[in-house]
Amino acid sequence: MIDAMSRQGAGNVAVELMRADGAALPAFEAGAHVDVHLPGGLIRQYSIASPPADRSRYVLCVRREPASRGGSASVHERLRVGQALTISTPRNLFALMPGGHHVLVAGGIGITPLLAMAHQLLAGGASFELHYYVRSRQEIAFLRQLQGELGDRVHLHSAEEGRDARQVLPGALDGAGNDHQLYLCGPAAFMDHITAAAQARGWDASRIHSEAFAPVVPVPSADAAAQDAAFEVQLASSGQVYCVPADRTIAQVLGEAGVPLSLSCEMGICGACLTDVVEGMPDHRDSVQSETEKAGNRQITVCCSRSRSPRLTLAL
Amino acid sequence: MSAVPHPANPHSPLPPGSTFTPGDWQLLARQWHPVANASKITGAPSKATLLDEALVVYRVKGEVVVARDVCPHRGVPLSMGSHDEEGVVCPYHGLRFGAGGRCNRIPSSPNQAIPAKLNLATYPAVERYGLVWVCLAPDADSPAPLPVMPHWDDAGFQQINCPGFDINGFAGRQVEGFLDVAHFAWIHTDTFADPDNQLVPDYTTVETEHGFRADYISSVSNYSEGFRHLAPADFAWLRRFETHLPFTASLTIHFPGEQRLVILNCASPVSARKTRLFVPIARNFNLEQPVEEVHAFNLCIFEEDRAMVELQRPERLPLDMALEAHIPADRSSIAYRRGLKKMGFGEFFLV
Repeated sequence: MIDAMSRQGAGNVAVELMRADGAALPAFEAGAHVDVHLPGGLIRQYSIASPPADRSRYVLCVRREPASRGGSASVHERLRVGQALTISTPRNLFALMPGGHHVLVAGGIGITPLLAMAHQLLAGGASFELHYYVRSRQEIAFLRQLQGELGDRVHLHSAEEGRDARQVLPGALDGAGNDHQLYLCGPAAFMDHITAAAQARGWDASRIHSEAFAPVVPVPSADAAAQDAAFEVQLASSGQVYCVPADRTIAQVLGEAGVPLSLSCEMGICGACLTDVVEGMPDHRDSVQSETEKAGNRQITVCCSRSRSPRLTLAL
Repeated sequence: MSAVPHPANPHSPLPPGSTFTPGDWQLLARQWHPVANASKITGAPSKATLLDEALVVYRVKGEVVVARDVCPHRGVPLSMGSHDEEGVVCPYHGLRFGAGGRCNRIPSSPNQAIPAKLNLATYPAVERYGLVWVCLAPDADSPAPLPVMPHWDDAGFQQINCPGFDINGFAGRQVEGFLDVAHFAWIHTDTFADPDNQLVPDYTTVETEHGFRADYISSVSNYSEGFRHLAPADFAWLRRFETHLPFTASLTIHFPGEQRLVILNCASPVSARKTRLFVPIARNFNLEQPVEEVHAFNLCIFEEDRAMVELQRPERLPLDMALEAHIPADRSSIAYRRGLKKMGFGEFFLV
């Protein structure tokens, strides 16, 4: 149930969850998120910001998105202290890796999983630093914690003061050792920028870990599918173009057209149907590819994924 | 990867009669596999087989030696031999082999200098988690690390080694079974699981340096049949699986309080159709329970699994996901197969 809610900088609200009977919540690791069943039937994934050592509560923090699809609006408008909420057990797609030094880089509300990581690293006596990029200082969430126990490990960068990620990069990206790890959470463009900068400075992809705000939902629900748009799929071999309507999958359309496909689970968990993408931007709906693989956009599960671009060209 | 010629056949790196394809054998031979419980290796030569290679394992002055089970003189298995303080003695002509597999006695010509050709073909061996681990073809450029077992060396933990357990099946199938959480309610109801608790809560896998990790939280208790009443109501049982590809996986079960049980499942590939299972266990509770009881309880579980693993077809583990059907409970199985594929395993596993 919701034990407390607080404003965490302009536009953000923190939601503190406890079990109604006061018992300990399931253990979680820094970086983990929970699925929250919101009033109105939406399910959204939110990272846990509180220290993993504290199993009495999970603290989430949600930014009010102007272009909300309903999740953040529901949190801000409909959640109240004392209300009961259903959540999943924590799942971690963004775990800390063994390393000599950890560089945490947050953009905006991307601070939530990184704050939990900072607490865990601090508790374990590990070496780390946290960079937090915001538009203005008024937007900083969890300011008291950041200034308190985390102290001089925290570097705040405000765009209003001329310190956005395009102007000022964390110095730790330069000359990093081979056992240094980089963790990114924030808007996609922000993470792309930092990733490119790190790679240009010799970081290999295996040491760069990122999580987007909205983790991909493993299985598209019927409701979600109904909102999907149509797009085109082109076969690289023949040039043939097929239209995938909102209510059909790529596999269904190609299968009916007699294109041989390798299918098994038909729900995006096994990867049997992973197909190389020649051109276009997949909308990944599977849960078999890692976040790194999805970000690379080299392959798509044709059983359940869709397209962000009007046309996808596949190596078929 | 360098393909060192096999001592028995300069034209091939593979042992005679290998049941693996050359590419898969090479990849497997780079890894560490257990071949014996260390406590069973006293002085006397003991027989083991790994990846179709017949091995002799013995101890001399505390040091474990693992070598081809073939006397370099006339090819008799040294595992048939005897031993004294200075090494193992071949039953045919009495040649003796000591530390590092070096020949240190030719009874028929005791004053003759011993040529290097008479030394055994040995393999790197280390003792860890109560097991003797061997690497048949180390990759000098990137040596394989040993798997990690949580808590084995922690204060307050007891170390137990179950006797080696033989399975007429492929190691990959056995490991996948160990990682599988949907079969508890069907196979393990005589030991720890509840036939009425079949649901598999959602879980995810996280890639790690040498495999993946899966935290699986369910209400299936791990108390054995007869002790279920000890499980607190509504307790969330966390089972943390951590794989070390290709054939080792640990399971850390979080009991109520700070009680932990760690099971290291090491499937040693005797051949493509035979597996010897080694299972080190560490725990920090029930320390007064006789280890024989732990062995007996785990033997029951191994038997329950064996009945399935030996009958699975195809015997090999299909890495082509389209060859079998998959359900949401299989996230670990899928991560396991994807991990093996990424390591480069191919033909033998059915790609």
